[in-house]
Amino acid sequence: MSIPLVPKLLRSHLAELALEDKRHDGRQRFEGRDVELEINCLPRAEGSARVRMGDTIVLAGVKFQIMTPYPDRPNEGGLMCSAEVRPVAGRNWEAGPPSAESIELGRVVDRGIRESGCINTEDLCIIPGEKAWQVILDVFAVSDDGNLFDAFGLAAIAALRSATVPAERFEVGEDMPLEVSKTPIMCSYHKVGGRFVYDADKREELGGDERIHITLGDDDHVHSLQKGLKGIFTAAEFADIMDEARSRCAELRDLVNEKLEGE
Amino acid sequence: MGGYGDVQCIDDNGIRLDGRTKDEVRPVSIETGVIPVADGSARIRWGLNDCIAAVYGPMEAHPRKIQRQDRAVLDVRYNMAPFSTTDRIRPGFNRRSREISKVTAEALESVVLTELYPRSKIRVEIEIICAEAGTRCAGITAASVALAHAGIPMTDMVVSVASGKVHDIVVCDLNKEEDNYGEADLPMGILPNTGELVFLQMDGDLSPEQFQEAWDYNMEAAKVIHEEMVRALKGGDE
Repeated sequence: MSIPLVPKLLRSHLAELALEDKRHDGRQRFEGRDVELEINCLPRAEGSARVRMGDTIVLAGVKFQIMTPYPDRPNEGGLMCSAEVRPVAGRNWEAGPPSAESIELGRVVDRGIRESGCINTEDLCIIPGEKAWQVILDVFAVSDDGNLFDAFGLAAIAALRSATVPAERFEVGEDMPLEVSKTPIMCSYHKVGGRFVYDADKREELGGDERIHITLGDDDHVHSLQKGLKGIFTAAEFADIMDEARSRCAELRDLVNEKLEGE
Repeated sequence: MGGYGDVQCIDDNGIRLDGRTKDEVRPVSIETGVIPVADGSARIRWGLNDCIAAVYGPMEAHPRKIQRQDRAVLDVRYNMAPFSTTDRIRPGFNRRSREISKVTAEALESVVLTELYPRSKIRVEIEIICAEAGTRCAGITAASVALAHAGIPMTDMVVSVASGKVHDIVVCDLNKEEDNYGEADLPMGILPNTGELVFLQMDGDLSPEQFQEAWDYNMEAAKVIHEEMVRALKGGDE
């Protein structure tokens, strides 16, 4: 992503608002944008979700392939998560090989899901040493108005939880739901005008400083953390947003559960 | 083209696998404004095809060597999302998407008044979210609507549609099975107000009579699709 020149005016405008604990779109410090979640919206994917947070829109699709298990893990399949931010999603995203930013996005989303252990790779084995499922999760940005991380994270877990293993098409048994035992959720906080805010939009990202991504599992266990961009933060600031993340992750997890029950 | 396959694409009563007669277009619906951060955008759902297009610009053309002193350049990209097909597509440009991007750009350059924006660039991004035959046509059509939605001056919009032949019968607007097992495919890009063409490809085998029939089907289908494009632009956004 090419970083546009940040107008000094935007930066100082956000800083002035911060003095009064305000945000440019009228939200509270830890208030997120409205979230829409749609499940099974991609007919060619074995599991899928679409997330809209304000003007940020993303898709996630799950596909399956048959792989040969790695020799040192003959009883395990694999999980791969890849994020693509194509130039369709905004004027600053460029064509070409994946940028460092989009690789970071994919890897942070991947870690949150992988490390939660929500997918047991041994469940993916079909014939030990010969055949196993590779689950491929692709997240795709349609419109980037900030905080792609959380949108990707939410779409990713919702898509996985809605997935069906296409065993019949590959002639290795009967179709069955993919076993996903946990619902890891990511919450991201950006430093804007000297304090952390939740769910920054594009302007806050451009006129802000460092960001912190927190992925929490079902029992508030921490599964991934990432600090991005230049900036310094204190232990007290971190404790503050960690507290916020616990309640917000729980809310979003309820949303995922509710949507899946409706299916 | 797989020749006569195992799949019977059209039955003895002339009804196709998706229930259409040989001269019918798949259901088409178009909406605009689907990518809020873009200057113009459109989504077309056409049968099972689901395609989005974004337009950014006119903007400064860089690197400078791509600039043209007398006109804008169209920077067009066609891409299929990894989850858009039965077998996952590996991300990244391939020869097919490169060719489609090129012919799409040339079709759109034929109608956009590029001379109004010297030294600038207009980006057109086409993404196939779900594919069911005729994605290049869906892409060109969606891109035309997105350009109009962005307010880019054009002499006309391009309507693109493909007809072809299956089991020696000419059929309008090929679906997936017909594309896979059929004997010919004739995609065209039509200017609905004049009947002129800006895009043409063909592969397979058609007699002169069959070619004319497929051509005529495309011309008729273009009228149906054009109506939906106009409807989306006039009434669609919000």
